[in-house]
Amino acid sequence: MTRETTGDQARARGFFLLGGLILLALSAAALLYGRYPAPGFMSPASLFSDPMAGDIVLLIRLPRLLGAILTGAVLGAAGCAFQLLFANPLVDAGFLGVTQGASFGAALAMAAGGSLWLIFGSAFGFGLLALSLAIVLARSIRFGGAVLRLILSGIAIAAFFAAAVSLVKFTADPLRQLPDISYWLMGGLSGMYWELLALCAPPALLSVSLLVLMRWRLLILSLDDGTAASLGARPRLERPLALGLAAIGAAAVTAAAGPVSWVGLIVPHLARLLLRSDGAASLPASALGGAIFVLLCDTLARSLFSVELPLGIICALLGTAVFFGLLVGRRVQVTRN
Amino acid sequence: MLTLSDIAYRYPDAAKPVLTGFSLRLEAGRVRGLLGSNGAGKSTVLGLAAGWLKPDCGRRACAVQTAWLPQAERLSFAFTCLEYVLFGRAPHLPYLAVPQGDDEAAALIALERAGMANKADRRITTLSGGELQLVRLARCIAQQAPVLLLDEPTDMLDPAHVVQVADIIRQLAGDGCAVLLTTHDIHFALACADDASLLRDGSSLADGPAAAVLDCANLERAYGVPFRQQPVPTPCLPGRT
Repeated sequence: MTRETTGDQARARGFFLLGGLILLALSAAALLYGRYPAPGFMSPASLFSDPMAGDIVLLIRLPRLLGAILTGAVLGAAGCAFQLLFANPLVDAGFLGVTQGASFGAALAMAAGGSLWLIFGSAFGFGLLALSLAIVLARSIRFGGAVLRLILSGIAIAAFFAAAVSLVKFTADPLRQLPDISYWLMGGLSGMYWELLALCAPPALLSVSLLVLMRWRLLILSLDDGTAASLGARPRLERPLALGLAAIGAAAVTAAAGPVSWVGLIVPHLARLLLRSDGAASLPASALGGAIFVLLCDTLARSLFSVELPLGIICALLGTAVFFGLLVGRRVQVTRN
Repeated sequence: MLTLSDIAYRYPDAAKPVLTGFSLRLEAGRVRGLLGSNGAGKSTVLGLAAGWLKPDCGRRACAVQTAWLPQAERLSFAFTCLEYVLFGRAPHLPYLAVPQGDDEAAALIALERAGMANKADRRITTLSGGELQLVRLARCIAQQAPVLLLDEPTDMLDPAHVVQVADIIRQLAGDGCAVLLTTHDIHFALACADDASLLRDGSSLADGPAAAVLDCANLERAYGVPFRQQPVPTPCLPGRT
């Protein structure tokens, strides 16, 4: 028995085609828009006639553009993966303390006067340490199912590292280190040059690629342990591995861009809403949607005013508005378990 | 097709084992009903038969794939019926593969057999309880496993859906599947099952042909309350052939 291409498949193709075109158009606009040689769009011809324009696009705007796309794609895909793995549409990568751990690592390295490498490495390492601690702690909790234990331990670890960040800020030099730490904690891509992009891209690309490959397997892991096991999965092994994979990407982009909230929460909902499906296409759609969302927010962040706004603020403002719109429109479905 | 021999099982942190010295044998083309009071260990037997619970002692022998229908399951996302039934194809696919046309065809046939083909694109969250149960059964059918383990498949269903579920189960047995089902519906068990096992306090109380096992005396011993034969209006279940 076969049937014609379903409406869902046609809608998914339309989503990826239109989304790809939007991303391309937005990328071109982001490359050409800025304050050189004058506020507004520069002529593409000036890239070849004006060496300074070429340098600005190649050395500043292009790595930032790629960083925004990567950050959004990873946060969107990781958020979707976390929601599936926790069988809860209201979680994102911050749920297991990855964001807070990475924030603590970056703050600690900045307080120690570390280099770019040290700040990135410390943020990345502490992001993954937070995840590991959450998983280990969950195993020692004596009640509830595997998912509930992970959520509880994640909340505790996130709170611990949030307090640790406050402690670092409290002890930091208020004139030199504290402003840097505070600015970093607002999230932003102003420091995303080729060197930093080269650091975060390998783990981020690995994470998002493997998550896209696992997109259907993750749906199986959203089912009960028993049901998933009867379908040949090994949820107690596969779920932590997939969480680790998502966390690697989230930790890498957070280490490079700082905490960028709401992307991992709302973009998967928007993707499911536009696809009208919760199926396997929702994960790559979340990656594409996240890339568009963060690139749009970053372009707004650096072009709305003469002074650049932190990306995290723009994402949070837009994200809360979209989230509230989804809730009011009853677009977010939460089942009781 | 599947044998449990002298099984004992205790849940972690439980004071005493939920099953002791329990044995069971499933044969191709036959339906076995597993009955007993709440907490007697019926769902545990299914978990052990499915292989995702490991016995503390005793042995499970099964060389074929099993499909398992849990009594209830968490469904946090609004998959379409077709997407959900496609999960049954997972054991047939390589680890990172996504279902293709053949799998979709198998899922649609399963939905057809469950009488739900016209709901393939409906979201499972919009189905009635009876419809959802039929779709869950379709997922087990799509798995094409020779052994089906069904945990209270008629729980909370109206008589019409009970008839549909019984009909599907008998068809599957007719195709050569071995079926183990738990139920509290004695009439359903008598109509649908060839054999029956009665459980009490984690041990087998009686085992054999369903009509012989499910008599008033055995049921009284299993449930601890008196039973009597009484004609009441009952739906016309398909029955054994």
